Amino acid sequence: MHPAFSVIFFTVSSGAGFGLFALLVLADFLGLGGGLSIDQKLTAGGLALFLVAAGLSSSVFHLANPKNAWRAFSRYRTSWLSREGVFAVMFYPFAIAYLGLTWLDMSQLTMLKVVVGVMAAALSWVTIFSTGMIYACLKTIRQWNSPLVPANYLALGHFLGGLLLLLIANNGSVEIGGYVAISIGLSVMAAMLKAIYYFWINKPGATSTINTATGFTRGTVRLLDTGHTHGTFLTEEFGFQIARQYAVMLKVFVMVVGFVVPVLMLATGQTTQADIYVAIALASIGIVAERWLFFAEARHVVNLYHGAQRT
Amino acid sequence: MRLGLVIDLDVCVGCHACAIACKEWNASGTTAPLTDYQPYGAKPSGVWFNRIRSYEVGEYPHNKTINFPMSCMHCEDADCVTVCPTGASYKRAEDGIVLVDQTKCMGCNYCSWACPYGARELDRESGTMKKCTLCIDRIYDTFMPVEERQPACVLTCPAHARMFGDMDDANSAVSVVIRERGGYQLMPELGYNPTNHYLPVRKATPISTENLGRMGFKDRLKGIVNKVVKR
Amino acid sequence: MRENVRFWCANLKLIPLFNMNAIVKIENHDNQEIKFTTCYMCACRCGIKVTLEENKVRFIQGNRNHPTNQGVLCAKGSAGIMKQYSAAKLRKPLMRKPGAERGTGEFVEIEWDQALDILTERLSEIRSTNPSKLAFFTGRDQMQALTGLWAQQFGTPNWAAHGGFCSVNMAAAGLYSIGFSFWEFGAPDWDYAKYFIMWGVAEDHSSNPIKIGLEKLKRHGGKFVSVNPVRTGYSAIADEWIPIKPGMDGLLALSVVHVLLSRELFDWEFLIRYTNSAWLVVDTPGQKGHGLFLRDEQGNPLVWDMEKSGFVNALDKDITPALFGDYVAPDGRPVRTVMTLTAERYLDERYAPENVAQECGVSAETIERMALEMAHVAFKETVELDIQWTDSWGRQHDKVIGRPVAMYAMRGIAAHSNGFHACRAVHLIQIMLGALDGPGNFRARAPYPKPIPPHQLPENNIDIINAPNTPLSKTPLGFPTRPEDLVIDKQGNPLRIDKAYSWEIPIASHGLMHMVITNATNHDPYPIDTLLLFMSNMAWNSTMNTKNVQDMLREKDPAKPDQHKIPFLVVVDAFHSEMVNFADLVLPDTTYLERHDTISLLDRPISEPDAAADAIRYPLLKLDRDVRPWQEVMVELAGRLKFPAFTNADGTRKFKDYPDFIVNYERAPGIGFLAGWRGKNGEKSLKGEPNPKQWEKYIENESFFAHHWPDSQKYNRFANKEYLDIAADVGFVGKSEPITMQIYSEPLQKFRLAGQGLYDGPQPNNPVDRERLAKYFDPLPMWYKPLEQERVDGEEYPFFALTQRPMLMYHSWDSQNVWLRQILAQNYMYMNRGQATRMGLKDFDWIWVESHNGKIRCQMRTMEGTQENTVWTWNAIGKQGGAWGLKPEASEAKSGFLLNHLISELLPAKKGERRITNSDPVTGQAAWFDLRVKITKAAEGEVGSWPEFPAIKPLPWDDGERPDVLRYSTRTDDKQP
Repeated sequence: MHPAFSVIFFTVSSGAGFGLFALLVLADFLGLGGGLSIDQKLTAGGLALFLVAAGLSSSVFHLANPKNAWRAFSRYRTSWLSREGVFAVMFYPFAIAYLGLTWLDMSQLTMLKVVVGVMAAALSWVTIFSTGMIYACLKTIRQWNSPLVPANYLALGHFLGGLLLLLIANNGSVEIGGYVAISIGLSVMAAMLKAIYYFWINKPGATSTINTATGFTRGTVRLLDTGHTHGTFLTEEFGFQIARQYAVMLKVFVMVVGFVVPVLMLATGQTTQADIYVAIALASIGIVAERWLFFAEARHVVNLYHGAQRT
Repeated sequence: MRLGLVIDLDVCVGCHACAIACKEWNASGTTAPLTDYQPYGAKPSGVWFNRIRSYEVGEYPHNKTINFPMSCMHCEDADCVTVCPTGASYKRAEDGIVLVDQTKCMGCNYCSWACPYGARELDRESGTMKKCTLCIDRIYDTFMPVEERQPACVLTCPAHARMFGDMDDANSAVSVVIRERGGYQLMPELGYNPTNHYLPVRKATPISTENLGRMGFKDRLKGIVNKVVKR
Repeated sequence: MRENVRFWCANLKLIPLFNMNAIVKIENHDNQEIKFTTCYMCACRCGIKVTLEENKVRFIQGNRNHPTNQGVLCAKGSAGIMKQYSAAKLRKPLMRKPGAERGTGEFVEIEWDQALDILTERLSEIRSTNPSKLAFFTGRDQMQALTGLWAQQFGTPNWAAHGGFCSVNMAAAGLYSIGFSFWEFGAPDWDYAKYFIMWGVAEDHSSNPIKIGLEKLKRHGGKFVSVNPVRTGYSAIADEWIPIKPGMDGLLALSVVHVLLSRELFDWEFLIRYTNSAWLVVDTPGQKGHGLFLRDEQGNPLVWDMEKSGFVNALDKDITPALFGDYVAPDGRPVRTVMTLTAERYLDERYAPENVAQECGVSAETIERMALEMAHVAFKETVELDIQWTDSWGRQHDKVIGRPVAMYAMRGIAAHSNGFHACRAVHLIQIMLGALDGPGNFRARAPYPKPIPPHQLPENNIDIINAPNTPLSKTPLGFPTRPEDLVIDKQGNPLRIDKAYSWEIPIASHGLMHMVITNATNHDPYPIDTLLLFMSNMAWNSTMNTKNVQDMLREKDPAKPDQHKIPFLVVVDAFHSEMVNFADLVLPDTTYLERHDTISLLDRPISEPDAAADAIRYPLLKLDRDVRPWQEVMVELAGRLKFPAFTNADGTRKFKDYPDFIVNYERAPGIGFLAGWRGKNGEKSLKGEPNPKQWEKYIENESFFAHHWPDSQKYNRFANKEYLDIAADVGFVGKSEPITMQIYSEPLQKFRLAGQGLYDGPQPNNPVDRERLAKYFDPLPMWYKPLEQERVDGEEYPFFALTQRPMLMYHSWDSQNVWLRQILAQNYMYMNRGQATRMGLKDFDWIWVESHNGKIRCQMRTMEGTQENTVWTWNAIGKQGGAWGLKPEASEAKSGFLLNHLISELLPAKKGERRITNSDPVTGQAAWFDLRVKITKAAEGEVGSWPEFPAIKPLPWDDGERPDVLRYSTRTDDKQP
């Protein structure tokens, strides 16, 4: 699949935003590390909302006819893409209410705050899950058609969100041990899930081949002519291919830069704010690379008609 | 009704007549126009509803070339419709034709991702997804002569390799030919249940070469007794 | 709106419920018009139904009632819209800018009056001094009856169409053997054929009929065998593919003949009744008269009558000819029957399958099986139709017997220097099987069959040819039967610029267009003044040796430094081709939707085996630029130059314009260009006095006319009395008499005798000519190695190289077509995959391809379906940058290529020999496919096609800008976003 930058940015940014918000709500309820200050909570919540908003607006750039984007909320009953939009939009009032109540800090409204907080966190999770399901529901792309995909999206969103929360928590007034532990834990979990994913997509398994695509099941089938000399929408959208050795290198990069180095930096026990910035930067680069690879490695079955032997 | 096409791979010569007739009709059809990019330039391309590919099966000299036209299969379980967030993609209940409402499409390409057959192509100028309409604006046009109320590709196919009809009607010509010739669907494992079917290559009946003539004419030529034939 | 309501009402029952979001609106037909005309995207000439909307083309579809395409239409036909709106259309007459060099593309626009004055003055001068100094050659036109008449009236012998580089081998072989031919004068009977062999066909003139037919054949369970080095297109759907080595088809066919003969598998009755197989041939080697037919005093050929035990006139009725036998003529000369010679020749072990398998690249087992399968179908699956018919001898038959083996052959056979004989060999199989013009056979299309060869000789009276202001007494082209018919002077030098009908090329029935520029540049046999080219790209893909030919067009005459070797070059075309770039004067033509035109029975009609047919075109669209139909311009020039056939006795012009000419011109009383609706009131068919309303009648009747033959006239027309009576009456044949197929060709033997010095008449002086005549004018079909391959080292150049045209562009003037070029905008050199792997080559490698004539660089692809010793590419995809309305960076120009650079129009030089044309020595058919090449991988970094050509400059009206997006549509109601 053609890795479109707008979609990569969208999924990484909104994933991190939702992850951050969900973790913020949890940390707030648990009073992790002695509890975040109101300012910290507002900062974290604001950042989360900004990331989600940035991601969503970026996704609109991906549209060829954005003036109809508003219609995307209409088919939530069948379409994960529509659901993602609906949930993302539903998330906002709860998230804003939660931040408002945090800012008001009125004990009379604690119960309400818990309710809206739980709703915001739940909608965060559902939205990330929906994002994952946009890809996972496609039978046409073997590398995506797996529960591992929403799991990955959830884990990665929370991993980045956790790092961001750590950054905000780390102002000296809060005991950050728990935040570090959560970040490391999320990182290990995300890395493991991603590793399982990478292992899984390398297994060919039972899949569509040029033979099932054409129905010529006896003998080797080779493409003679595509019926067009230069590219088409199909070759541009689906024709992208990444060399195997390049993909392996990139996977190592994702693992090392995205997970291993940030974790090592956090695990020293004497993490400075600068270290966290660097860890976030590295993790973000790593996740962007992961996301690019997520698209680049996906092989749509239409490629079988263009001569690919299998996907 | 379940309207669709049957493509006879045994006789398709790969002439692209269907693709051009389709382009020609639909250039001014319901989702008109079909944009062409760099029409006079280095890399011409454009929006098409029919693409004809050619494959070679087997190895020289036992290879067979098969020309393979593809367009929208108007699937029963059309994921392109399910995934569409705006409702622009829809499948008509009355005849199963899958269409894209150009006024609703936001050009997210998602339906094309869900389509295994490469049937959908984005028109970058209109920003909307376009696809085979089964020439819905021909088949229901009562101002057209009855015999011309067929998709343009079917009407034009010089090898009559394309048939149009109702798959729900067990006695329709398309249903009969699918039964008789073992018509099949592409990538059945994906479960889209495409309406369009493909007829496989026929097996030619072997011709006997037994008991033909008498060997040794060369020896008989000297002193041959001519047959008496009146001119 | 109204339409929509109507639609809803009409469909209320059919479609009870549209979706809520239904967007389907049936288009508004109020402003639409439907007209019928004839397609001209290739030479197939299908009937088309054109929907117009406000002088724009909405839709072009096949006409269901038309005999040629029966409603279907190919890719080219449907792409006609984009031809009509091509950016390459010429807009106004052009003259080379004063002072600008030829070929630099510097033009000034001129008015038509000026253009016609310039041309009239020049032609007038030529015609009143030496008419031969005009050479008029036409490309893909379909009006040779008119262009030929025009040339004849002008008085120049230097006229031909492009048949010489296209398929004259098929036409000539057929017309000298069976009276009709592959190409356009016959078609397979798809209804009854059970076995069909296609020899060397990629696409063809009858493009849609073949596609319609192949499906019919397969649906009926017939077997389709394709003999072709490449498996694409039609061959793709063949039940059996025989990947033959190029140029070996004749050998394969003769081996099939060997198998048939060796088992006595031939049709005695057919041979005796309808062929010259029982005719007696004088057998006196080394003496004058050897190899000619034994004739009586009236000149009738003789046979041995078994009942009378004596010699009788072979053309008599109720005789009992001996098919085999050696006899002694009354004058003591030994004679043998044609069939005896035939059997002895082909029963020779030389033709045994095991002895030709290696050369053909086809296994002996396959050859034998092919022959036996054909024989089985012919003799054991005979078709019998209950149709009464009368033979030429007046005998009634109550059945028509068909031996349902059909064949078709085309350029793969034709484009070799042994193609004439190869095609004759294929006809020999048909004759042996008795499988011609019967049910399930290859059948004739009116006005064929004709006498063998047709009774039409080329003008060769030197006094008439040289006479100023005098028309020729015959057309320039015809069918020589003996050396006396050659078009040569007393010294034996050619009188035609292309040397057709000279000792070098005696039976060049379509001329040799591919030699015109070379010969004219070399002043060989003489210099000309004006070369007039219509619709032919002789500066690019239609010429051999393209790069050098472009240089020839630029070449100045050292004797007159301000003059070119070809002093004046007039190009008539509708589009900005590479040829236009070299013109001194450009006359812009119309498109096929903008003019009157006829597809005439006098020419290359659209008849089908079951119907004689012709067709017209008429203007459907208003002209939007200052161009004129070439037909009109020819009639205008004929009037200005006062051609007798175009001028009244009082010197006034006979025909107002082209439509007037078509209606009123009669070749013979009652016979004109159009056969339909003749007679004063349009009541007569095929023959009748002119009908002033003839065009209107055609337009009313969907622009075609078809005379359907009754069943009794459909078959065996070479000896079908009812048919031949009509054919004679309407001028298809001279007399109603049987047409006897010529296995043994006496005309060829006469030329051979001339070469051997044994002919009573003109004989060549040059030993090269003598040798060629003696060797290649075999009266029986023969096979020899293609000429170029005799002179080129097969080890050094191991590959056969050839081209084909893709179906979507075949014979079409059209790679610039915006839709078609999206499908194919770059060609590759295709090679067998296994072969490529052995050579370390792979897909998309850039390679050098080198022949004795030069080298090119191109990109390659591999495939299974190519014979291992063969490479091939799509022809005419490569373009010169800037031509055809394309941008200079078009991939056709940057990565596309022509094989033409590698093909020389002359055979490799041989010591002690003048340069000889690279053509079939019998017919002059250009030997495109004789080419041998070697292939090497290009060095790292060597990419892009080579040789490179400078981009052609835009024409005066053209700023060279082209849109990046095209959104053609005629839809006016509720446009979608």
